[in-house]
Amino acid sequence: MQTLENVLRKWEPVIGLEIHTELTTLETKMFCGCKLEFGAEPNTNTCPVCLGLPGALPVPNKAAIESIVLAGLATNCEIEKDTMFYRKNYMYPDMAKNFQTTQGPLAFCMRGHLDLEIDGKGADERYGIDDVKVGESFENITRCEGGYVAHVGITRIHMEEDAGKMVHIGGSEGRIAGATHSLVDYNRAGTPLMELVTEPDLRTPEEARRFMQKLRQIYLTLGISNCSMEEGSMRCDGNISLRRRGTHELGTKTELKNLNSFKSLHDGLMYEILRQADVLDEGGVIYQETRHWDPSAKRTIVMRVKETADDYRLFPEPDLAPYHLSDEFIERVRAKLPELPDEMAARIKDAYGLSAYDASHLVEHRATASLFDAAASLIPDDASASQRALVAKQLANFIINDVTAWLNAEPDVDLASSPLTPERLFELSMLLVDETISSKQAKEVFTAIIDEDKDPREIVAERGMEQVSDAGAIEAVIDSILAENPDKVDQYRGGKTGLIGFFVGQCMKAMQGQGNPKLINEMLEKKLSE
Amino acid sequence: MTQHLTESDVALIAEYTRIGMTPDEVARMTVDLNAIIDSLSPITEYDLDGVEPTFHPIGTLSNVMREDVVGESFSQQTALENAPKQQDGQFLIPAILSDGGDR
Repeated sequence: MQTLENVLRKWEPVIGLEIHTELTTLETKMFCGCKLEFGAEPNTNTCPVCLGLPGALPVPNKAAIESIVLAGLATNCEIEKDTMFYRKNYMYPDMAKNFQTTQGPLAFCMRGHLDLEIDGKGADERYGIDDVKVGESFENITRCEGGYVAHVGITRIHMEEDAGKMVHIGGSEGRIAGATHSLVDYNRAGTPLMELVTEPDLRTPEEARRFMQKLRQIYLTLGISNCSMEEGSMRCDGNISLRRRGTHELGTKTELKNLNSFKSLHDGLMYEILRQADVLDEGGVIYQETRHWDPSAKRTIVMRVKETADDYRLFPEPDLAPYHLSDEFIERVRAKLPELPDEMAARIKDAYGLSAYDASHLVEHRATASLFDAAASLIPDDASASQRALVAKQLANFIINDVTAWLNAEPDVDLASSPLTPERLFELSMLLVDETISSKQAKEVFTAIIDEDKDPREIVAERGMEQVSDAGAIEAVIDSILAENPDKVDQYRGGKTGLIGFFVGQCMKAMQGQGNPKLINEMLEKKLSE
Repeated sequence: MTQHLTESDVALIAEYTRIGMTPDEVARMTVDLNAIIDSLSPITEYDLDGVEPTFHPIGTLSNVMREDVVGESFSQQTALENAPKQQDGQFLIPAILSDGGDR
């Protein structure tokens, strides 16, 4: 295969995503009162509606409609007031009704967008970026320090329902090919499902990954789904085609499935770009087909070739009344919008003088964002701007490096109920900022907080860390003691060197007996002889 | 009678809806369906310009919704009652693919 760099010179990748998200935080299904429950005994959460029994009548879940409107507002969509549900007819055993209830030409949410910050190595995937100056725009991006911001359109977010779960028996590795029979569990059938479709505005695998990450952060902040890519409550398909650089007509696309982790999403798309380029460069053609990403073999394989467009015979669902959402309904939902990750990043950047990089990484995860917010709120109101920035930077460092590493190593930890409280993290940062302990000692204290469930000062006292040998900290104390006693300084310099004992005593007192006396002595002598 | 649907249209509809039909049945069904469509022809005699299509027989109802409250579900036994075959609390169905492809 060719290198990406080579491919990009000739070809421009065009990528769009379809992202399905189950509204897992609701109590009940989309059109019936059956309980939403992951991992329940098979077929224990079903009823005439979700089993498609004749005569059963669906009634939409109001909380699901509110959730999708909330999602639309959070992704800059226009809320379409007049919409309805449609039947998408297909014969497949995962849906007992033989149709999926979904939306037609108009969805609840239309014409939205997200802005993606792409930095570091990921920015290198974008062709031509080096020729653009910071602050300048080209195509759908604006160049900024260390990377760029990409403006990505959202075509729509529509409401639909998930299908049941099937297990195929008798084939190899549970695959449907070669199976002798299948088992169906309809517990998941009818689960409220949002489908978001992007415009074909993405140009690199990194942009696709970042879009998914950002959307997931937003949904988690809204509290409308647990967004588990592992359990399948958030799933992503990628549509990808190449066109010759400089042309505008779209090439034939393939649809990529099984992109069930951020890594798979990135690597699957990257493989497909290189594969399509190889085929096209050899004079071959791309078939419109669905391909499956195999992460262990690191390649995509054909699932099915689409000879004709699927005929779903979409028509308005006669059993469901249309929607005319009122301004009042929409405003009531808008009032529930929490502070979104981007807004929080902007706020903490301004309030604490953080860098854009630190701010955007702090809000990446809700738990760490809350920890920062709570800890930073402990900075006294009368602290100067530079003091605030110093402490906040320290908090940010701990969270971005140590806390993240810890949570990566132990993913089951619930930060909110862990020994690492905002108070302790703030105290630890203060100990470091006022140089009571060194940064090396701070790492030790950080680990001890988690292992021993104790306050930082207690740990520092127990381990005698306050025996401060940090020259900077001692010097600060010495400077203030000397400044407070100008007469005694003069006397010392006049020959009364016995006063050294007085100065050491004052320094030790100021350092609550924890200063390193030898070091204090040495530094005092040096200072006084200056 | 006007030929609205050909036999191959009807055979295609039968395939979509997974209804097994012999060629003979398709022929008879084609005659019947064309007769049914003919019976709707009076509607074409009216001037319908500017009339909004009626998607819903529901009338003026809109925004019908329910609260997100758990109701009653079937027991597993009831859910599976009509299933010709079952296994491990699930519906046991015949092989989906006969051609070895993958969906």
